[in-house]
Amino acid sequence: MNAPVYRKWQCIACGEIFDEALGSPADGIPPGTRLEDLPDDWLCPNCGALKASFILMED
Amino acid sequence: MSDLKIPTELVAPIFNPASYADRAKMEKMLAHLRHNYPLSIAEVPGYDPHWIVTKYKDVREITRQDNIFHSGDRSKTPASQIAEQMMRDYSGGKPHIFRTLVHMDPPDHTAHRDLVKENFMPQNIAALETSIREMARRHVDHMASLGTTCDFAGDIAMNYPLEVVCTLIGLPKEDHAIMLRLTQWFLSYADPDLCRPGSVLTDPEEQIKTWQIVYDEFKRYYGSVIKDRQACPRHDLASTIANGKIHGCPMDERSMISYFVIASTAGHDTTAATIANSMWTLATQPGLLARLKAEPALIPNFVEEAIRWTSPAMCFIRSAAEDYELSGRQIKKGDLLYISYLSANRDEEMFDTPYEFRLDRTPNRHIGFGYGAHICVGQHLARLEMRLLWEELIPRLESVEMAGEGKWQESEFVCGPKFVPIRFKMN
Ligand code: HEM
Repeated sequence: MNAPVYRKWQCIACGEIFDEALGSPADGIPPGTRLEDLPDDWLCPNCGALKASFILMED
Repeated sequence: MSDLKIPTELVAPIFNPASYADRAKMEKMLAHLRHNYPLSIAEVPGYDPHWIVTKYKDVREITRQDNIFHSGDRSKTPASQIAEQMMRDYSGGKPHIFRTLVHMDPPDHTAHRDLVKENFMPQNIAALETSIREMARRHVDHMASLGTTCDFAGDIAMNYPLEVVCTLIGLPKEDHAIMLRLTQWFLSYADPDLCRPGSVLTDPEEQIKTWQIVYDEFKRYYGSVIKDRQACPRHDLASTIANGKIHGCPMDERSMISYFVIASTAGHDTTAATIANSMWTLATQPGLLARLKAEPALIPNFVEEAIRWTSPAMCFIRSAAEDYELSGRQIKKGDLLYISYLSANRDEEMFDTPYEFRLDRTPNRHIGFGYGAHICVGQHLARLEMRLLWEELIPRLESVEMAGEGKWQESEFVCGPKFVPIRFKMN
């Protein structure tokens, strides 16, 4: 079976990276959490921008 | 509910640059405000009333909403009524002398920030690592050449970030000292050791007189840089700014000069303050140097905690563009809010043992770089240059201790140590 493909997203306001593979355990987000599965009112943990400010990073 | 009005004698020092020479006392005062007067009003003679915002969650709630809490309608830094009036007189009715990113609101702010945003994204900053590491190494070599004692603040901390940012802007080496001098006049206008020669520190108009001089000096200096880069663009920040278009039109003169001012001042002063305070901490916290030598992978944590610890951009002002209820208080349209990043970074509700310098805060959610749309554009550069400096210095630093008393600047806005005398051994 193929390993799931996780993606990286970047906050266009401040440059913070959300790596789905790593999640953010200290903020209660386990590894392997998809950005789309985060609640809609989730904010960038660095600058407070809306979830919609995260764009897919190219490899 | 705590009292709405803070006793004047308790809160007045917050507006007085001289108070900050005694950092420990100011930290105690902020803790007292946080515990007994969270979100309360300061009415200090000579100043309009300000809400004093000391709690982490309140600071974040305000700074996240730049559509409600404006940066452009009033002075962005603590200013007396006289100072605000003088700024209006000087700038033809505007509340600021400078018109930097810090002083703008959307949509202007967004348009101006977009101009440099990409250059400062972490992946683009990472590309500078080799050249910045080379600068870091040279400053470390310079420290080694000083023997066994130095003033780390003046000899190293002030010069390295200055070189980094001036190189990024594209300024020749011989002009870096001009940038340092103008930055000190501007941000440390009230410090007797760093202020503009000829300043009359007892004159309530001094701050604005100095700022006018600083603006004019920057304008004189950057006038020819702008002409040069417009005629012949290069791969530097000066070319990006000089040729910057806002909504398809060239930037107005005040915004362009101010863009250069913020890059040439904010771009090094706060980093220098953090680096100086980091060394002060290394020299006084037993075991810290040994731990970092044994585990260099902790250097990024050291950098992050040093930013929280120093919080060199201690405060900013916002004004309410509409009525707003915050933590049970009624903020009215037009009210001024003094945002204390320093106090927020000591808030016990957010940080365990906030008065301990700890390498194990992960993630370290300090707001030393601010929060919301005005969050520091240079944060990734500042982190990189500090990490590189410590990666170069710590393996060579065998021991360090204070060789005398350190001194903090007398500054109510951006503040750091101005004198860090150390005795050290390097290999
Ligand atoms: C340790 C180093 C630094 C600290 C602690 C720091 C702190 C801050 C803070 C707190 C703000 C937010 C202002 C607000 O709330 O309105 C800010 C904004 C800013 N900083 Fe920094 N800064 C640092 C380094 C730098 C560097 C290296 C640069 C540039 C090369 C820089 C450029 C700026 C600019 C242009 C802004 C304005 C952003 C805006 O209003 O959109 N800073 N900084």
